[in-house]
Amino acid sequence: MHLNRTWSTEVKNIAGTNAYGVLASPRGPRNEAIVISASWLSRTGEGDGTLNLRGVSTVLALARFLKNYSLWAKDLVFVVSDGYLDGMHAWLNVYHGAQLSSRYWLAGKKSTSDRTSTDLKAEPLELTSGVIWTALSIDYPGHSFSHLGLFFEGLNGRLPNQDLMNCVQRISRGTGGVPVTVYDHLEWQDPATSPSELSFLPSPLRHYPGVQDFAHRAKIIARHIGYQARGRASGVHGLYHKFRIDAITVFAIPATGPHGFHALGRIVESSLRTMNNLLERLHASFFFFIITAPDRFMKIGSYLPSAILISVAMMFRGLQCWVDARWHTDQPRSEKRDYSTWFSTKSRPVVPALAAMLLTHLLGAILFFASRSSWFLGDQKLYAPTFALAILTVPFALSQIPHPRDEITAPFWLVLKAFNLCFASTVISTITILNFSLAALLAVTLGFPLTLSGPSDSKLLSRLKCLFYVFLASAWLFLHQETREAIWNWEILSVWFAPFVCLIYTPLVLQAAIVCVLPCS
Amino acid sequence: MSTSKSVSSNSLSAATSGLLISRVVSALFGLSNALKHDQLLSTPLSSYTHLKEGIFLFKNGIDPYSGGTFRHSPLLLALFSVVLPESQKYASLLWTAFDFAGAWALVSIWRARQNVRKTSRDTVVAASYLLNPYVFLPTLALSSSSLQSSITLLTLKYAAEGQASPSLFFLSVLMHIDLSTLTLLLPILLLLISDPQSHLASPRPLTSNLRRTLPLFGEFVLYTAVLSVASTVIVGGIQWIPQTWGATLTLPDLTPNTGVWWYFFTEMFDHFRPFFLMVFSVHLLIYVVPMCIKFQYDPLYATFLLLGVLGTFKAYPTLSDPGLFFSALSIFPEVHPYLRHPIVTALIHLHAALLMPLFNHLWLNTGTGNANFFYASTLVFACGNGAGLIDAVWAGLRIAIGKDTEGYVVVQE
Repeated sequence: MHLNRTWSTEVKNIAGTNAYGVLASPRGPRNEAIVISASWLSRTGEGDGTLNLRGVSTVLALARFLKNYSLWAKDLVFVVSDGYLDGMHAWLNVYHGAQLSSRYWLAGKKSTSDRTSTDLKAEPLELTSGVIWTALSIDYPGHSFSHLGLFFEGLNGRLPNQDLMNCVQRISRGTGGVPVTVYDHLEWQDPATSPSELSFLPSPLRHYPGVQDFAHRAKIIARHIGYQARGRASGVHGLYHKFRIDAITVFAIPATGPHGFHALGRIVESSLRTMNNLLERLHASFFFFIITAPDRFMKIGSYLPSAILISVAMMFRGLQCWVDARWHTDQPRSEKRDYSTWFSTKSRPVVPALAAMLLTHLLGAILFFASRSSWFLGDQKLYAPTFALAILTVPFALSQIPHPRDEITAPFWLVLKAFNLCFASTVISTITILNFSLAALLAVTLGFPLTLSGPSDSKLLSRLKCLFYVFLASAWLFLHQETREAIWNWEILSVWFAPFVCLIYTPLVLQAAIVCVLPCS
Repeated sequence: MSTSKSVSSNSLSAATSGLLISRVVSALFGLSNALKHDQLLSTPLSSYTHLKEGIFLFKNGIDPYSGGTFRHSPLLLALFSVVLPESQKYASLLWTAFDFAGAWALVSIWRARQNVRKTSRDTVVAASYLLNPYVFLPTLALSSSSLQSSITLLTLKYAAEGQASPSLFFLSVLMHIDLSTLTLLLPILLLLISDPQSHLASPRPLTSNLRRTLPLFGEFVLYTAVLSVASTVIVGGIQWIPQTWGATLTLPDLTPNTGVWWYFFTEMFDHFRPFFLMVFSVHLLIYVVPMCIKFQYDPLYATFLLLGVLGTFKAYPTLSDPGLFFSALSIFPEVHPYLRHPIVTALIHLHAALLMPLFNHLWLNTGTGNANFFYASTLVFACGNGAGLIDAVWAGLRIAIGKDTEGYVVVQE
């Protein structure tokens, strides 16, 4: 009943072996399954090499224990995956018959001749089971634990169903008697300590419970945004979401006590029974939430409007620019109310504006292909400033795009700004549903700068403004580690954060830079 | 000034031809496989995979209409079981050729409307059809709705050039492919007895005798009867009627698409179904007579507006139906200055064009959304189409009043 099969994969020139076994459901038709997994490396330090020894032993012990019961209506699949994310990525893709990755990744500074040999490979699985509905990833690196921490963010900002999280949390508190926290944050446990981030506040305010509570929640949300906006998974569970599997990581926060194997086993067993009882998929309305405290969350109605309102405001500003470009006011020349001298209409150069936008996005695509190339990643210190300088020339080059400059034509910059704002607004409001954190971040990084763009009378000031926008557009080039990770995530895990930044974000800010260097009239 | 104009038009045509080449290349390589299952681009009535399945069954001596998946017209079945090569590459070429025929027809309509042999705007008109993403994405997906758009344009081309027989023949072919295009019959008959030139600025009652439409109508009925008999002979029975025409009226397949019907009828209690099917079908017809009466002096414009109605409200639309309407807007440059909110329409379409594939993906792939998400985005799309249609009606009427006069505002027409 419990079989092992070894196989290997190559990710970042790593070959690994996953072990897995299937417990065939004694009661069901075997077309649905639950996965209980542990990765070989713990998520401590985002996979810094700490071994997940007790997590693996928990899975093995559970496999032995659970097969004595005949109540399972779904198959149970036990997986011990190699490495941190790589092993499970390979296993899941092979399980679902998906392409491991058509792209390849060059690790380190190997010569280009190695490229084909680093292509991902994985052996096919011998044992199969049904559609996986839910999965639990167990992470237990210490020898005992005090709290269970829940990690839930998946790739590309996808979240698991909140019902699953609530179940595990209730069971942990009730059945297991183990307190639950979000991530590995424990500060809220001890009201005497105040977060170090608040040290700038005067002492009475710092120890005021309301302020402390706010700080704890803000910390949780900040970490959430850090994972979700960049499309990163906060643990191995994040890989499942792509295949429509709801999964979370249960992280046993290392401590000297008081809980251990027994408590964790009870919690997992009870959670599995709960999942086993599922008759249909968890409801579609529980995928949108922001966890603020272990037992508190914000519903979609309370956080979505924040980003949407900013995007609507940008849209209105864009439409205002569009209308301003059309109407031209003259000073009334006489006492007589002659409207025709007050207002005259101008034609708006739509085609040049759209062409300029299209060109920036095309340049963004070129930038993307250049920055995922091996020579860029091989020598970032040299190429990042080069790229930034190249980007700096773009606004000046594109401001020369042919456009009519006569009395009856509206200023080019106003039309370009109108389109720029309208498109940015559309992007933000569309992204909110897909990845709220990214949308919120964009609302901040695009909302204010793009609204304030515009040429000044002084040429120097205009150029300084342009310089600022170019900096905003290309600053990410200098975050070496960040860029590498984002590109690795795209190449291997198909996280679209890197292409999004190159193809959408940078061009949008560059358009604002063009607006600044265009002639004012 | 003139030199700069010729330079810009040269660069424009260079850019256009560059884009056209890239279009043909993308039609030939890849993409089709990724797009042909997209629900925005093909419906059960126009899907390439269903067409291939039907042809396979037909060639193997099984009645393709017995299974309930094949809903294409027997004419397409006959045509493609003889002509259609097995290779998808040739199919892509054929579809692209149809698109070029459509663009050529659109340019011909434009020339007929201007009553000149050649204009400097021809490239723009052709590009508005060939480079419209709503038109070329269904072509890449090999959806038969692109063929339908091309045939619609051919019908209009011959009608605008006063060649009644080819026009009526193409119209009856069109009706065999999609029953709802019957709404175009009346304005096309009017177009055949009048002229295609723009009279929007100078409205007048219809001068020609309406009786002249009767022989034309008879000719249309004759063609339709001949094609129906041919279809019956091809299939060997009349079982194609409920599967093709009947599908448009009874909506048996509720696969999601960009239209407004499918969600409404998934939510419907069965005993209301026949009534609302009648309401939705009749709703398409109620626009025909008012549009034809109001625009009796310019039946080509009435046809154009009815294309907009079809793109918004017909039973199994794809993106190419509203795409045809918006591309055809390019042959009426005289109304463009009178459009009230083109940028709002464009922005609604931008939102809808991003939201529809996204919500479709969230619902059917990642599972974090449900049908309501996608339906909401199709409603946004319908609003965009409706806004374009209403604006076109407004501009078509508004042009007759002439330029703004100081101190006066047009309240109602």
